[in-house]
Amino acid sequence: MSEVPENLKYTKDHEWVGPLEKGGVKIGITDYAQDSLSDVVFVELPSKGETFNEGEVMAVAESVKAASDIYAPISGKVVEINEKLEEVPELVNESPYGSGWMVLMEPSDDMSSLISAGSYKDSID
Amino acid sequence: MVMSLLQTCVHDFHMEQGAKMVDFAGWHMPIQYTSIVSEHKLVRERVGIFDVSHMGQLFVSGRGASSFLSYVTTWDITKLLDGECRYCHILNEEGNIIDDTIVYVFDKENYMLVPNASMVSKVFDWFISKSKNFDVTIDNQSDNNYCFAVQGPEAPRLLRQYSNMSIVPFRLVRSGNTIISGTGYTGEKGYEIMGPLSDSMGVWESFVDMGAIPVGLGARDTLRLEKGYLLSGKDFDGTQSTLESGYGWVIDWNHDFIGRDKLLIQKKKAYSSLKGILLEERGVLRPGQPVFSNNKQISVLTSGSLSPILKRGIGLSYVDISIGSNVTILVRDRHLKGRVIRTPFL
Repeated sequence: MSEVPENLKYTKDHEWVGPLEKGGVKIGITDYAQDSLSDVVFVELPSKGETFNEGEVMAVAESVKAASDIYAPISGKVVEINEKLEEVPELVNESPYGSGWMVLMEPSDDMSSLISAGSYKDSID
Repeated sequence: MVMSLLQTCVHDFHMEQGAKMVDFAGWHMPIQYTSIVSEHKLVRERVGIFDVSHMGQLFVSGRGASSFLSYVTTWDITKLLDGECRYCHILNEEGNIIDDTIVYVFDKENYMLVPNASMVSKVFDWFISKSKNFDVTIDNQSDNNYCFAVQGPEAPRLLRQYSNMSIVPFRLVRSGNTIISGTGYTGEKGYEIMGPLSDSMGVWESFVDMGAIPVGLGARDTLRLEKGYLLSGKDFDGTQSTLESGYGWVIDWNHDFIGRDKLLIQKKKAYSSLKGILLEERGVLRPGQPVFSNNKQISVLTSGSLSPILKRGIGLSYVDISIGSNVTILVRDRHLKGRVIRTPFL
């Protein structure tokens, strides 16, 4: 069973978005996504200051077998990236909602397209 | 139309273990049981067991068997000793690789070859078409046998425990219906065990009970790539010769074989050959990615992945530039720095 924390928002593409903190929201991929990818061996993150529209490819997570695009779950500007993932990409597997976060983004929209934990859970069942 | 996939004799085991399954050459095979990286490391450090029952077994027998096999492979099989195993290539008239295989010598009139799963019927048909002038029988037993590979530094201990035997590399022992050879596709010490389907589950469970960890085809691919071993259908697809593949050492020039004339001509010329590409930046290489030298595309990768041991992107490509040359590999929209190296990577 995949873990789906109640306090986060989600997309159907398996990204999560955290609560607003110091000017931004943390973004990562869900437990379900990391499990389907299996061993994440490389994460390509955007640069600080890059802006994305919702749905644009923002990052790439690569496993041994395949590369998977990660879409911007909201529109906004990247204000921080998780540089630890350069050295330790497996954090995405070990702690997808914790130390495996990917970017901190300053939202430029109301994030109304995100879905609740309950709806996301239904979508992966 | 829905094509149903073939299942090996231990398919139920894979399903019970919750392995991730894929279609591989028409077979429903495990790509991983837990994780490719951890299974890979277990084979390098301890011992794993692979179900490779999808691979073929062609038995070639008769008074003309050794001269026939010498004619259809790059090696002079007549020189091999009883109980020897030899890796070689099966070529077409152009000198291009149809498949790579290991020839098992039971005695001067009885041999077995193990073609790749996707090539079994092609190799069988090829052999039949070339066998008219030889006193030889070719028997495709691929559907009647299991094949398991037990690989890793602890494999010799497991074999002793299982059968009180030790087998040196590229030798085989035949005991009843079971064939055990000192061969594999990982670069580690290990064995391949073959026998009738009715014995398969017992053999599999014995090795698992002794501590062999089931390993899927995902790790099989990364293990072979670290050693620079060829993958049929990817690193050769019927359009590259043995010389181009970098495996010139599997040719015994002092015998007549299909493709020899073309290889002799090629040998005198310059040709691209398969070499290792080591990524010098972070990233993962994939088959099909373009390789550039001096801002010009020179080739594509035939294989590519991340070495779980080196933690570097590694790949193979047919290039006409020398070992040590700098290249870039186009990964998505970026050129990443790489270097041409001699395989193995590890």
